[in-house]
Amino acid sequence: MAPRHARALARLGPAALGLLLGALALGPALGPGYVLRYDMVFVPDPPLVLGSGGSGGFPRAVPSDQVVALLSLALPADVVQKALLLVVFVLAASGAAALLPGDRPAARLAAAAFYAWNAYLAQRLLLGQWALLLGFAGLPWAVRAAARGPTTRRDAVRLAAALVPAAVGGFQATLVTAITVLPVAALSGRPRALRVGVPVTALLVAVLSLPWLVPALASRAVTDPAGVEAFAARADGPFGTLGSLLSLGGVWNAEAEVPGQGSWSVAAVRLVLSLVALAGFAGFARAAVAGERRFARGPAVAAVVGLGVAAVVGLGVAGLGAFAPGVLKGLIGWWPGFGPFRDGQLFIAPLVLCQALGFAYAADRLGRVGFAAAAVPVLVLPTFALGAFGRLAAVDYPDAWRRVQAVVNADPAPGALVSLPWGAHRAFAWNGGRVILDPATKMFARPVLWDDTLVVERRAGGVIRVAAEAPRARRIGALIRDGRGPLTAAFVREEVRFVLIAQKNENEFSSRFPGVRPILRAGELLLLRL
Amino acid sequence: MLKVLAALAVGAVLAGVASVAVVNVASPTPEPPNKPLYNYGTR
Repeated sequence: MAPRHARALARLGPAALGLLLGALALGPALGPGYVLRYDMVFVPDPPLVLGSGGSGGFPRAVPSDQVVALLSLALPADVVQKALLLVVFVLAASGAAALLPGDRPAARLAAAAFYAWNAYLAQRLLLGQWALLLGFAGLPWAVRAAARGPTTRRDAVRLAAALVPAAVGGFQATLVTAITVLPVAALSGRPRALRVGVPVTALLVAVLSLPWLVPALASRAVTDPAGVEAFAARADGPFGTLGSLLSLGGVWNAEAEVPGQGSWSVAAVRLVLSLVALAGFAGFARAAVAGERRFARGPAVAAVVGLGVAAVVGLGVAGLGAFAPGVLKGLIGWWPGFGPFRDGQLFIAPLVLCQALGFAYAADRLGRVGFAAAAVPVLVLPTFALGAFGRLAAVDYPDAWRRVQAVVNADPAPGALVSLPWGAHRAFAWNGGRVILDPATKMFARPVLWDDTLVVERRAGGVIRVAAEAPRARRIGALIRDGRGPLTAAFVREEVRFVLIAQKNENEFSSRFPGVRPILRAGELLLLRL
Repeated sequence: MLKVLAALAVGAVLAGVASVAVVNVASPTPEPPNKPLYNYGTR
């Protein structure tokens, strides 16, 4: 290949490959409408509300929801959603490639394909955690910037820019990025890295965390240690929890698995690929430390030691809930701020990046044949394609939802909206029965009170009930569960203005609001004004 | 030449496993309605 073409391929190829992989993975989800699955709830005309919207819950979707609301002022919300999902793939692929030398196109394409097509990204997407994935996609860029020290003003600005995707993503994205960039900055080997680089990195992460940190500290939300068991990493194939984590899976929710990934053949091939990638990373690290110039150049060289440390730390956090739950429960009991570590599997993101670099190193050693390596991640996890074979698809909201949204948001009187039935999730027929967080939590420009209790099916039968976090929701929940008497007066005391009931539950709840006339009955929804 | 042959062999294995996985997943199977909202799985 002519040097000019090789350079163009190395520069533009990874981003184009990311776009291609994004289109392949999302498939039917790129059609008109909204992609709704678990935590991924986009709504038409999302209102701009601050913090957790006055519900008192932990600000899980801050500032991602606010950014979506702002972007939706210029573009339809469903277009914004598709753009954000594609950005995840493009940013991830181009970022992993950008850590490698510009004259190694095969290696760059291999890194791009591996980082944009793996079990971690697929499982978190099927769990609807697009905001976390924004941070995951920005991680290589953040590592690239952190590997420069950063000890000058210019480097600090670069790092701040690279941290923007994580900052937009919110608390999970920022925490994953923090455990990665801090060791990378500390172990970059640059002069003044420890004395200046690490404090600057920590300060930037802290400042960019303020949008979710301030409402989190003010929310008085509580963390139930029962979540340690519920959210612990688990085996998603025949090789146990550790085998699943090493092959970049192990998400706690069995419904977030890529279809077919648990079969012996697919799981074995995936594990072999991860072991090859880990061996490649060891080789890459050895070459970097020895100063080998053939491949071990570029930003990844300064990052390699810190990235390895971050991967080990991330794997340790992921294993905590699975192998030492008592430790994590004790920590959460001592300070609820340790709550985000319950879902430990998400912290293996730096391990994904290590494996992407290791896979690239292995591909580079194959010479021209290494270009074919870009197809390997897709062949190893083929059922992630086409929206994981229908697990992701675009649908439109029924007109009833838009009518309820218009009535509630046009009412200038203050007061919260309570969404019934009292449960966090819904499975609508119009969404193909896919489970989603109640869309009412995102639709209204007023506090929405909903049951944030999480019910998780236990391995040995029965359920784990992770208690509600928001104090106001706990009070409303207690009122609803407390007998079958009228609720109107108690709800008015709690400053509730609207009650939204899914109509199939109308008989269950209407008798508890005597004398209150429905102001809207549309499709599957019934709206009461108190 | 050896690298090319090895790559072809690995590619053939991967393509075989991928084909089986796709066929298994794409075949219509009865799916129970109203599955638990969150599921920890059986492993």
